[in-house]
Amino acid sequence: MSAPDGGSVASGPLATPSIARPLVLLAAALAVAATVYLAFAVPASWFPGATAKTWGARDLSLVRGTGAIVNNELVLTGVDNNGQALIALSSDLPARDYAAIAWDVRDVPATTDVRLVWRSDYAPQKVISVPVSIESEQLLPVIVVEDPGWLGRVNGLALLIRGPLSQPIRIRGVTAKPMGAVETLSDRIREWWSFERWTGTSINSVTGGADVQDLPLPLLLAVAIAATALLVWALARWRRLPRRSTLAWTIAVVFAASWGLLDARWLWNLARQTQVTAAQYAGKDWREKHRAADDGGLFAFIEQVRATLPAAPVRVFVVSDAHYFRGRAAFHLYPHNVFFESSRNVMPPPANLRAGDWLLVYQRRGVQFDPSANRLRWDNMTPISAQLKLTGPGAALFQIQ
Amino acid sequence: MGSFGLILGLLLMWAIGVAFVVALPRRTPLLSTAGGLAWTVGSGAFAGAFLATIWMRALSLAGVSFGIAAIFVPLLLLGAALAWLGFRREFPDLRGALRDAANIVRGQHLQGMARVLWLALLAWLVLRFALLFAEVAWKPLYPWDSWTQWGTKARVWYELGRLVPFEAADAWLASNGTSYFDAAPHYPGTVPLLQVLASVALGRWDDALMNIPFWMLAVALSCAVYGALRAMDFGPSGALVGAWLVASLPLANVHVALAGYADLPLAAFFTIAVFAGLRWLDHHETGDAVLALLLLAACPLIKVPGRVWLLTLVPALLVAFFPRHGRKLVAAGFAVALFALLVLARTNPVILNYRLHLEFAPEWGALADSYFLLGNWHLLWYGAIAAAVFGWRQLMSPRLAPFTMVIAAGGVFLFVVFAFTNARAWVADQTTVNRATLHLAPLVTVWMLAVFRAWVQDCRALETEEHQPLAVRAA
Repeated sequence: MSAPDGGSVASGPLATPSIARPLVLLAAALAVAATVYLAFAVPASWFPGATAKTWGARDLSLVRGTGAIVNNELVLTGVDNNGQALIALSSDLPARDYAAIAWDVRDVPATTDVRLVWRSDYAPQKVISVPVSIESEQLLPVIVVEDPGWLGRVNGLALLIRGPLSQPIRIRGVTAKPMGAVETLSDRIREWWSFERWTGTSINSVTGGADVQDLPLPLLLAVAIAATALLVWALARWRRLPRRSTLAWTIAVVFAASWGLLDARWLWNLARQTQVTAAQYAGKDWREKHRAADDGGLFAFIEQVRATLPAAPVRVFVVSDAHYFRGRAAFHLYPHNVFFESSRNVMPPPANLRAGDWLLVYQRRGVQFDPSANRLRWDNMTPISAQLKLTGPGAALFQIQ
Repeated sequence: MGSFGLILGLLLMWAIGVAFVVALPRRTPLLSTAGGLAWTVGSGAFAGAFLATIWMRALSLAGVSFGIAAIFVPLLLLGAALAWLGFRREFPDLRGALRDAANIVRGQHLQGMARVLWLALLAWLVLRFALLFAEVAWKPLYPWDSWTQWGTKARVWYELGRLVPFEAADAWLASNGTSYFDAAPHYPGTVPLLQVLASVALGRWDDALMNIPFWMLAVALSCAVYGALRAMDFGPSGALVGAWLVASLPLANVHVALAGYADLPLAAFFTIAVFAGLRWLDHHETGDAVLALLLLAACPLIKVPGRVWLLTLVPALLVAFFPRHGRKLVAAGFAVALFALLVLARTNPVILNYRLHLEFAPEWGALADSYFLLGNWHLLWYGAIAAAVFGWRQLMSPRLAPFTMVIAAGGVFLFVVFAFTNARAWVADQTTVNRATLHLAPLVTVWMLAVFRAWVQDCRALETEEHQPLAVRAA
């Protein structure tokens, strides 16, 4: 363990061992890259006088369709007979001061037809609409400033959604944005530092902040690193410095610093997540944790099931309309000898059931039990003999006779 | 036993692995080499984990129930024997290695700002692993496959005290209760066995705490990466930066925090196996070869794609063993592979559940999102490409060529799977693409550093030559 160390990636000191200079150059490159981005991203004035205006879910009116306010969100559950939902609000916006309208809407299927609708005092009888793009089940901001109909004072804004809806859509509110340089940069920084909590897809992919980002931070940093390297190469050539060593040292420092910045963001996110995890699970034993988990209701019922089943492992068939519940119920039931269809919502063929087997039905439609005759049937097949051993909310445990 | 038993049991498993690594035959004491202690400790965790699962399989075959005495007492005896064998050779260097390690951890080899940065980086690593430990210890099994196909086996084997077979639906229905069923009954049992081992040490079923081995292996991976980089002649700071880069890969962190999948264990075992193999190529120590073989043997027993990852080592071995003709052989191999792809255009076979069909339609957009825009890998793929561009002259240098071949073959494997097979759907929906990439990502990180360092050394040599007086050069 006695190899020399020059404090660098390489085993000895490099030609330009200053850390400050590459970092200053990186900061300058970042500033230039951000400015270039703003040149493309800011649709109107860089420094507008107006400030953003936001309306929450309670300010919105559900003109068409069905839904209700839940936890400060307007949860849209259905469309009207014409297959439309319309969410509107009264506004008083000078069109020239506001370049974009951003609806904060979640769980929008990518195939949904969504349009932003408005009218203004410039042409009161005319209703104008433009399509709204969807990404990651969210609506992207609509740049309205370049639309010829965005004139005068906008006194009505609305969101038109054409159904049918495959799932409820959550509408948190809408913001009219001047989209100046400062606001645009603030939006990007907010996206980068947005809390990304654990979800079912976290094991597959890390977004790195908000679900939808106009300028991913890794891309900006990569561009800045490349710009820094080019700048250093040019400077070294101009000042007749050792070009390669200077370039290598600069790349090493700015790459590590950029990685560190991304990692700081990631670690900060992890720390926030750990707080959430601690609030949910810390200080609880194994069972209490599961009761506090997302499927706590299911776990509580399975505890009753386990108490009903014999101590020695028995064959248990688990059925549910939702594959999540099939899998989770089965997991909680092991070491009983569980069978569940992980991907198909099907009942077991009666021929596969034997006397003494158990059938757990959890939130599964189409299963009928006749308690007077102890007969169980599903999918219009011939009933089989079974005893009802336990019931719960939308759930039942049977033993096959 | 409780938490104390869990910690004790896992430390014992780790110690047995360390004793195994130390006992392996070698001419030069391991602890006398740069980073030898970190390598021994890091790689030892993997050896210990795999040996413990082999022992559990043997117990089950012999009809002995899992328990503290059955699992840990024989392993303790084995560890003591191995330690006695190895420490006779290593003991003279142990005190010096520990003293050097303590000095290095304190940053005494550095001064001023460099020392501050060193200590900050260590604190950064400690903070990360503290947060990850909290996540593992508190959160019950969360991600999907962990409770449909991995934790299922762990629960059954722990509660029954032995391995029982998991079989496909038809076989299960016919078995009358002698076998079990889950979403992937054919998946190998090493990861569930580690969870069983943790549960036995804990003395009860706890689907959060049983995942502490995932955290332990992540810590061990960082130690081993540090040791491997030191063995590649990186200084302590460069090696620590390398360990930090590997430890900070966000998707790897996720697979610790949301433990229960086999992807990170496979990635870590494969990484350490390749490092052991590279050490063997460098120093021809038999012990390194044995360790590499042991850890490579673990790969297919961790996850089915481990078999394919073994095949990706073939080009590296060809280049290493046949320095004169190896490159031609590898080029010929790639040509054969291209021919095979053309043949597949006319057929429709299924291998490892992947339907192979030559239908070149990679999801470039989704792939770019995964590698360059999303937060999965920080700047890894930008850095790897830049390193390859800057250091292209060094990629096939004698020392780097085998490592480069591993990365190239791994990259080709991933590309073929995601570009030519039905697995491309998993790129588009951002599911398996990142988990499969994780198997190679730690190696790519270290390779990136190795290539960059080779390029830096080449730059220095060129500049030294350019700045020497003409007379000196002529002489």
